[in-house]
Amino acid sequence: MDSSIIRQLRKIAGKDAVLDRPEELMLYEYDAGVDKHRPGAVVFPQTTQQVSQVMKLASDKKIPVVPRGAGTGLSGGAIARREAIVLSLAKMNKILEIDVPNQRAVVQPGVVNLELSNATTKYGYYYAPDPSSQKACTIGGNVAENSGGPHTLALGVTVNHVTGLEAVLPDGRVIELGGKAQDSTGLDLTGFFVGSEGTMGVVTRITVKLTKLPEHVTTLLAIYNTVEDAANTVVAITQSGVTPAALEMLDGWMVRCVEANVHAGYPEDAAAVLLIELEGMRETVNEQAEAVSAVCMQQKAREVRHAKDEKQRQLLWLGRKTAFGAVGRVSPSYYTQDGVIPRTKVPYTLAEIARISKHYGLIIGNVFHAGDGNLHPLILFDSRDPQQTENSRKAAKEIMACCLKFGGSITGEHGVGLEKMGLMTAMFTEDDLEVMVRLRNAFNPESILNPQKMIPDLRYCREITGPLPKAKVEPVAGVPV
Amino acid sequence: MSTVTTPASVDRELAAIVGEGNVQRTDFDSFNINGVVPSAVVSPGSAEDVGSVLRLANERDLVVAPAGGLTKQQIGGVPERIDILLSTTRLNKVEEYDPGDLTISVGAGMPFAEMQRTLGEHHQWVPCDAAHLEHATIGGLLATGAAGPLKSTFGHMRDFCIGIQFATADGKVAKGGGRVVKNVAGYDLMKLLTGSYGSLAVITRVNFKVFPRPRQTRTFACSFHSLDEAMQFRTKLLQSPLTPMCMEIISPGAPEYLRDTEPANDPDHYAPEQPVSLPAVEWQIVLRAAGSDNVLARYARELGSAVTRTLEGPAEEQLWGWISHFEQNVLARHRNAMVLYTHLAIQSVGPALQALQRVAPDYNLIPAAVGRAATGNLVLALMPLSVDPPSAMQYANCVSALRGMLPAGSSAEVAYCPLEAKHHFDVWGTTPTDVNMMRAVKRAIDPKNILNRGRFIV
Repeated sequence: MDSSIIRQLRKIAGKDAVLDRPEELMLYEYDAGVDKHRPGAVVFPQTTQQVSQVMKLASDKKIPVVPRGAGTGLSGGAIARREAIVLSLAKMNKILEIDVPNQRAVVQPGVVNLELSNATTKYGYYYAPDPSSQKACTIGGNVAENSGGPHTLALGVTVNHVTGLEAVLPDGRVIELGGKAQDSTGLDLTGFFVGSEGTMGVVTRITVKLTKLPEHVTTLLAIYNTVEDAANTVVAITQSGVTPAALEMLDGWMVRCVEANVHAGYPEDAAAVLLIELEGMRETVNEQAEAVSAVCMQQKAREVRHAKDEKQRQLLWLGRKTAFGAVGRVSPSYYTQDGVIPRTKVPYTLAEIARISKHYGLIIGNVFHAGDGNLHPLILFDSRDPQQTENSRKAAKEIMACCLKFGGSITGEHGVGLEKMGLMTAMFTEDDLEVMVRLRNAFNPESILNPQKMIPDLRYCREITGPLPKAKVEPVAGVPV
Repeated sequence: MSTVTTPASVDRELAAIVGEGNVQRTDFDSFNINGVVPSAVVSPGSAEDVGSVLRLANERDLVVAPAGGLTKQQIGGVPERIDILLSTTRLNKVEEYDPGDLTISVGAGMPFAEMQRTLGEHHQWVPCDAAHLEHATIGGLLATGAAGPLKSTFGHMRDFCIGIQFATADGKVAKGGGRVVKNVAGYDLMKLLTGSYGSLAVITRVNFKVFPRPRQTRTFACSFHSLDEAMQFRTKLLQSPLTPMCMEIISPGAPEYLRDTEPANDPDHYAPEQPVSLPAVEWQIVLRAAGSDNVLARYARELGSAVTRTLEGPAEEQLWGWISHFEQNVLARHRNAMVLYTHLAIQSVGPALQALQRVAPDYNLIPAAVGRAATGNLVLALMPLSVDPPSAMQYANCVSALRGMLPAGSSAEVAYCPLEAKHHFDVWGTTPTDVNMMRAVKRAIDPKNILNRGRFIV
């Protein structure tokens, strides 16, 4: 990066707030996904005004800028190229206001997701969206990716919990969208902005809803002898009229993997387990727990266990939450997928994944948000073996094709980023994508902000942004999350 | 009333796209929108035909007003002109519905109640209780962001809509989202088009996530001597473990419009026929709870002596129907009434209602309000007195006084008011969301401004 740019960045953000030495930049080469590139510089603004000045400088000099939170994203959204500046929001990490009477909190983008819940539980409230990386990921990053999590089944994903944003546009202009009210007059640009993966503006302040802590929570573990029975239960529960707070599934392989790691008390001979959480008023939860248990038994569950106390409940969840780490212990590399299918297609899709696994001779573990059909198959491979690496890539492609065949989506919560950009044309037509490009250009006309992400290289995009390199879906070694 | 005639050649081209029988050139009185009458009414039978009509309009600089059941066309500014009223009513089929998936895909022109009946066969629903659901179309409800008391817990259309197909001003048929309940591929066009009042694109097909319908509900009405007491009760409820499905505040003037009444002979005359059913000084908070006998018993127990009436079955349905149709009831009785929709932070509900009560008499208007006490979406009605009715300017002054008294961050749009008054102020008012950005979005997708020109904020 041009030394005069570095000088100017230091002038804006402070001497210590800019990184440009290779050994420092190495740390910003990757996120939790599969792509890797070294940026030209990293800047850590501390105020909205500094973000605005950085954007203005970048706009004037036509330097691409990639905003970054904690770097826990799984789709390469925070990966920047050599000529780009990474704009880290890590130093804008203050909770500005906790407004209990209005059930809102106002935070800077670098606030860690779980930190907000920790700061508000003493008032009887929490921040509901809970991505698996919630101990590290930032709310700004959650806004960019419209993050989900196990508990978004009943309460909704990030977009359902954001009511206001302050953002800096690529030309440095600061805009306000929404506020503390549930909604406001005019276009819902707040809702539109969430999930735009850093391609519209840099979020510098976020107003989120705080959710009342439930009076009662209970967790059930349903154990199955076949995957089909577990999958059928998922359909039966959603049809029964109960919407659990969370409805997660682990297949037999994952169960054994997790047990070996944390001893959560999952039976190692099970073919699949469902982790079902119910929350709300005590009476409602108790009745729903009975109803759900009955449904599980009807669907040939071998056994349904109720967590007896909070300690047992936490232990059951520990198994789910450490699943990815547990896989890291047994396989040198794995490739995390994020596909969505209609709920009734869960049984077929799991059978199809089993077929794909057998066909390529690769273990594929399944641990996922069954309640909303959001699959996370983990393809295990040895990255030292080129054949296995190649096969894992093919298997991933077939799984995505299967999701699309059933009318599903290529991503439920990890985002498109770099990783899935090439798959966008399988889901959207050129006209669909052109509308998206036109809308993006209203915010980010020269594609200074997070260029070459999310929307693939189409003829129309080329006209506006110049030739773009093709996106690649390349699995690499590494342990996400 | 103003009409602009489209040239006969355009009529012929429209007929070539949608078929001769689907271009209407007479009987436009029923299509009078804020005094503007369309030159042609066109009903395309497919999304592609909607695109073709728009392409033609875009090429010829014809202004298009998308329309469904015509239940909300009077909301908004006075259209500059309407060359083509584009009716979606032929796009009225259920395209796909699998109860096990809890998703449905429907044509935008289908009346909402029709979809709801299909879902009802499987004990499912889309939890929306806006007004006139027999006529209001799915596309229209989405475009106007319509909602009723159920918004309290379930949110509104933006929260149920998981996929959308639409035609852009230049005739492209495009989509956003999909048919699955969780999906972050591409921009969230569902959020953008919900509440865009037909100013960005014409919605042609909508995918919803649907919900199991509650099997049993009960309604508890609680009365208070002052707004303060009602608000304190509301705050206590919000902090309690209770999770009611609806939580409405009803102002002392509102019960008058929460019952079946014959439209008045002289619709400008404010004259309650009977003494109102409750003393006119009472504020009410009305809760609707869902659950088993056990759960409902707990509501009764915890609400205790605050409850003045408990409703179930048909009486309960009737009350909620009245609440949904509050503003329609007001407008049926008073042609010159003014209705505002507010967007408020939770703690601004009390101050906003206080402002309404205080401002209205200064302009010879009688206040009444119902609304979502937990989300700040209120419907404020102001009825003119028969003696010394307000002038057009007085409506404008009243709105500006009212808006001036709302806490910071609030917004309030005038949904209905006499046409003459609309010329004196901005019906949409200010909003915390950057209006220049809204305009940039509009220009990006409808650069020639052919969609609903003059009606919306952009």
